[in-house]
Amino acid sequence: MTVLSCSDLCKNFGRAAALDGVTLSIEPGRIVGLLGPNGSGKTTLIKLANGLLTPSAGSIEICGIAPGRETHNMVSYLPERTCIPIWMSTGQLLDFYGDFYQDFRRDAAEEMLDHLRIPLTQTVKQMSKGTREKVQLIMVMSRAAKLYLLDEPIGGVDPATRDYILSTIIGNYNPEAAVVISTHLIADVEKVLDEVIFLNRGTVALQSSVDEIREEKGMSVDELFREVFKC
Amino acid sequence: MLGKLMKHEFRATRRVMLPLYLILLVTAVAANFSTRMLFDSRHWVLTTLGTLLVISFGVAVAGVCVMPVLLMVQRFYKNLLQDEGYIMLTLPASIHQHVWAKLIVSAAWFVVTVVVVIAAGCVMAFDIGVIRDFFEGLWDLLWELRKLEAFYAFNGVGYLAELAALAFFGLAAMCLQFYAALAIGHSAANHKMVCSVGAFFALQFATQFLASTGLYQLSFVNWPGWQISGMAAIHVGMLVALVCVVVYGAIFYAVTVYFLNRRLNLE
Repeated sequence: MTVLSCSDLCKNFGRAAALDGVTLSIEPGRIVGLLGPNGSGKTTLIKLANGLLTPSAGSIEICGIAPGRETHNMVSYLPERTCIPIWMSTGQLLDFYGDFYQDFRRDAAEEMLDHLRIPLTQTVKQMSKGTREKVQLIMVMSRAAKLYLLDEPIGGVDPATRDYILSTIIGNYNPEAAVVISTHLIADVEKVLDEVIFLNRGTVALQSSVDEIREEKGMSVDELFREVFKC
Repeated sequence: MLGKLMKHEFRATRRVMLPLYLILLVTAVAANFSTRMLFDSRHWVLTTLGTLLVISFGVAVAGVCVMPVLLMVQRFYKNLLQDEGYIMLTLPASIHQHVWAKLIVSAAWFVVTVVVVIAAGCVMAFDIGVIRDFFEGLWDLLWELRKLEAFYAFNGVGYLAELAALAFFGLAAMCLQFYAALAIGHSAANHKMVCSVGAFFALQFATQFLASTGLYQLSFVNWPGWQISGMAAIHVGMLVALVCVVVYGAIFYAVTVYFLNRRLNLE
């Protein structure tokens, strides 16, 4: 069953169209790169999938259901910035996620926090920016969700943290789920992707598997991206 | 889910309110001590210290009374309409549950604040001559009132209950007016806070206009054969006011839910 599907999806902000007739579908078990330059509509698409925005036209569905309370149980969402309440300790964050999500694997989260040597009593306020992002990612990836929507998970962090984040994603996602990674740092994520969707000015410029790109076009995703979005 | 939202809302707010209550009670003890001991001192340092302690009690009372209102607005704004909104509004909970959780917890803090301020007042007044005389006078008054007819006693209690209900629902409606204004303002593409302030005054103006128009129209209504006593008229007036407060609170609730459900525009 298709995990995420959009049909003629449009989103306007005033007169500006952030998404213009996007039609796509994402199957389970795939890691999909949602790629595009800044302002191409990646974040808008992810917000629409989370019900944080409402479509101007067209439709978007998660496992056949319009985004809402029911789909929030199926989707694990990493916002592009750190949004976890800064007054909470990591222990309280575990309580929070455990209370609201039945699929939250507290033991997996505790193991990852322990690996990073983050005590459960430490508050988010006391953490560095990179540690906050890691903690938020740990909470998101500790869920056994059907769809992971990760908005710029490696933006604004050092290369070592990028590696940690990518290995956390690969090592912890539910294999029957789909993972959507939105980014413009293609070279870093290319090695983990099964499929890519290029968004350009609110429209789908390309949806293809990574293997097809390499075999048919004879180039890496990064090279193709640079060619498609050449200024 | 509502229970879980309330649990975490209490957890978020108690870390502000409980220390404030503690400060209030400590300043109440200090003010009581200064009133009984320091004011009688002949040394200017001690009398000045006593005055400062009594002033600090007054400031603490004002702070504790204002804080639940500020916290009510701040929690709605920061937890649902700012960055934390990305986490909160993607929880498997409905907008109704989010609004109710915030409303119930805010109302609970209002009630607790009233109780704590009264308790602090009692602590401050403990064993102070003037205050003791006041309470003794009040007790004598109540003793005399006991001799009055049950009619007045029942009505007196009824007025107090109606007044308490009116105050409680009035505060809840005030919360919802703030929520509605913030929800409207944050549906705008830009200048969200300015739009929220504008929406608050627009809602305030609309409420005042409708209330004053309604009152004015009431004076033209002829109630043939409807004669009630002055006492009953006050009860009817209180109940009408209560219904009006509940109705405008319900309208603000509907506006808040509509804008959060349909017009949400997190940056």
